[in-house]
Amino acid sequence: MWSKKAVAVAGGAIFLTLAGLIRLNYLFISAGLVMLTFVVLSSFLDVWMPNVKVRRETSSDNVFEDGTINVKFIIKNTGLGLGFVEIYDKLPPQARITKGSNYTLLYMKPWQEVSFEYTLKLSLRGHYHLGPVRMRVKDAFDLFYNEKLEQSIHSFSVFPRIEVLEEQVITSRAPKLLSGSMPLNLIGSGTEFYSLREFVPGDSLRSVNWKALAKKGKMMVNETVREDVMDVILLLDAREVSAVGGGRDTPLEMSCRAAATYAKQLLDERNNVALVTYGDSVKRVDLDRGEHHLFKILTSLSSVRPEGSLKLEIVLKDLLPYIPSGSPIILFSSLDDDYTISEAFTNTISRGYNITTISPSSLDFEEKMKRIPHQPLLIARIERENMISEIRSFGMTVGDWKADEAVNTVLQGG
Amino acid sequence: MEEVEIKKSRMPKIDNIINYKDFFGEYPLIFAIKIISSIAMFYVIYEFFVYHNPLDSLITKYAPKVIANFKPNPNIFVIWGFIAGFCFYIFTLFKGKYKLLILILTLAIVGQYISDPALDWQVGESVIPDKVDTNGDGNQTQWEWKPVKIIYDDKKGTNERIDDAKVRLSNMIFGIIPFLGAYGIWKRKGWAIAASIGLVIIIGFLYNPNLCLENYDATYCGYDTMEKELTWKEYLSGGIFIGLGFVIYIELSYAAIKYENYAEQFKPAGLDASLLSASQKKSVAKTLRTLFVSYLINLGVMLFITFSVAEIVININYYLSTTDGRIQDSIELQGPYGIVFTSLIFFMLLGFLRMFIGAEYDREDN
Repeated sequence: MWSKKAVAVAGGAIFLTLAGLIRLNYLFISAGLVMLTFVVLSSFLDVWMPNVKVRRETSSDNVFEDGTINVKFIIKNTGLGLGFVEIYDKLPPQARITKGSNYTLLYMKPWQEVSFEYTLKLSLRGHYHLGPVRMRVKDAFDLFYNEKLEQSIHSFSVFPRIEVLEEQVITSRAPKLLSGSMPLNLIGSGTEFYSLREFVPGDSLRSVNWKALAKKGKMMVNETVREDVMDVILLLDAREVSAVGGGRDTPLEMSCRAAATYAKQLLDERNNVALVTYGDSVKRVDLDRGEHHLFKILTSLSSVRPEGSLKLEIVLKDLLPYIPSGSPIILFSSLDDDYTISEAFTNTISRGYNITTISPSSLDFEEKMKRIPHQPLLIARIERENMISEIRSFGMTVGDWKADEAVNTVLQGG
Repeated sequence: MEEVEIKKSRMPKIDNIINYKDFFGEYPLIFAIKIISSIAMFYVIYEFFVYHNPLDSLITKYAPKVIANFKPNPNIFVIWGFIAGFCFYIFTLFKGKYKLLILILTLAIVGQYISDPALDWQVGESVIPDKVDTNGDGNQTQWEWKPVKIIYDDKKGTNERIDDAKVRLSNMIFGIIPFLGAYGIWKRKGWAIAASIGLVIIIGFLYNPNLCLENYDATYCGYDTMEKELTWKEYLSGGIFIGLGFVIYIELSYAAIKYENYAEQFKPAGLDASLLSASQKKSVAKTLRTLFVSYLINLGVMLFITFSVAEIVININYYLSTTDGRIQDSIELQGPYGIVFTSLIFFMLLGFLRMFIGAEYDREDN
């Protein structure tokens, strides 16, 4: 193939020759012809093609958003050819190089092994891959080159960022056999104070409230909130409309980060967690617990793409028969473009489920990008506030999540 | 033990003033390549304008209407253009405030040069401020400021300086070519090298055919014809050398960039020091030396073949156009069109040959 230099030299030579013809200038003609001859003769030079083996060593196969990954690129010349090789390791467009370079110019001797390193920063969740490797070998004068694509692919995942939740806001009314750390709205054995009652025979002396005895003159005991494990369903809205905004500032990205944060917290507290995403179809990661399950949920969250327009009512109607009764559901949705929300909540609540909603506001992103005029924005805000008020009137908790707020603060006062 | 306080020197270190390491580079060979490339560039541009009078250029036809005394002189603009380009490269090596200081100084010197004959500074009897006798007997004196006047004077001198500036301007226009070339070679800027070559052709593009030099007088050409009149054959062989010169310039300057880029990649961005140990550096230097020697041999052989082939093509045309037979009746074949026509046939034959000779690569066949 012709390099840019060859095209420039040949182009210049042709121009000189033609200009010489037009102006009847022998100087230009002969100079142009000499340059053209040089280019044509250079095309006879052999351009070797490297026979190489490529491998990569990475610091980790999975990173969280804004995390870095170190890549060591090792290339071995297994052939007899030698010379300059340009090597370009293709990166995903979302990746930013913070150290080193994914491009190098190497002089390779037969059987020589060379390595170079670079560090990538990835700020958006997803499944990515490094490669293929593009190798380019030029002739002695860099006029002609050959390219080879080495199909060496290295896959890795970027998980949504996890924040630390300061307080527990999810409660359940469905007791389980195993005790855990989740407070239920029921009296039982736990650490959190619930109420005082009179002492009855059989009560442990440890639970006697001695201050109350001194004050009232009769034996009173402390009752505590029952703490148990829960089955928690994380319901994530991945419809096309959730991709409003751009880059990391979309309701879907915020929802994924929140879902990852809650999944981590709930699994750390030994609960069973399931993840359900809906967009063009319903995808689920079934109830389970443990570190391995967190990995499954994070992997699933990394795969989420905004597509489809399934309505919440249909999703819940399909889902509720499979959810253990009374289990809390956490919905991550911007609540946009769905006229079935009220009905979906009514049906779900009437069956005894509790839905906590974490709703990233898409209007903030639209306003930030100046894509929505002032008046329509005002109306849209009022509509959103009405929607949230309506859900709250059902007795459900809704966190109106503004852009740039931490997940931690969403449900406080919600 | 008492601590000895080391006083910080007020003199700034040379490292903080100029990045001189960038000038010499880590490898003497690359420095040498740059010098060779600079000489090649200087030779090519100078030779080009020896054969091709800049007064024949298209720009020379129109520029005198705006700029009087438009007389570009290759003896001046090639050397000074090159020096200016090299100085500009040195300027870029200076750091921060020193760069600004040099810029201000340069502007002041240029300003002084232009304004010097036109402005007359009148400061009275003595330099200000001065002790002045207030009552005339010398007993009572007082410190006073003398008025300073700047008078626009010496109109003739100013005009001469302006004319001089215009002549310099014409040299500056043509001087851009070596300026960019020198800057490109030393600063490793491919675009500057490409631009300098492009400008040779664009700025040097002919207005008058060379016939003007042989058969026409000043009324046709617009200037006195050159004393030395060349035949078209001499022009052709001159063109071959210029063409080869272009190739040498392009090749060597890009080689300088290529090999320096190879060495540069061992240096982290923003740092002067290399990541390599002394032995590794030696190994890189050895590789560079081997590569460059092999490259020079390649270039030498290729230039020799190119020269021979170009001579053959031109001589074949000469033979065809002067030999007995019907072909010599063709007026076109005897002129520049014939040379181009013969060359095209030759390139076509080479193209056919290329189909059978050369590297073949493995292909994946299903």
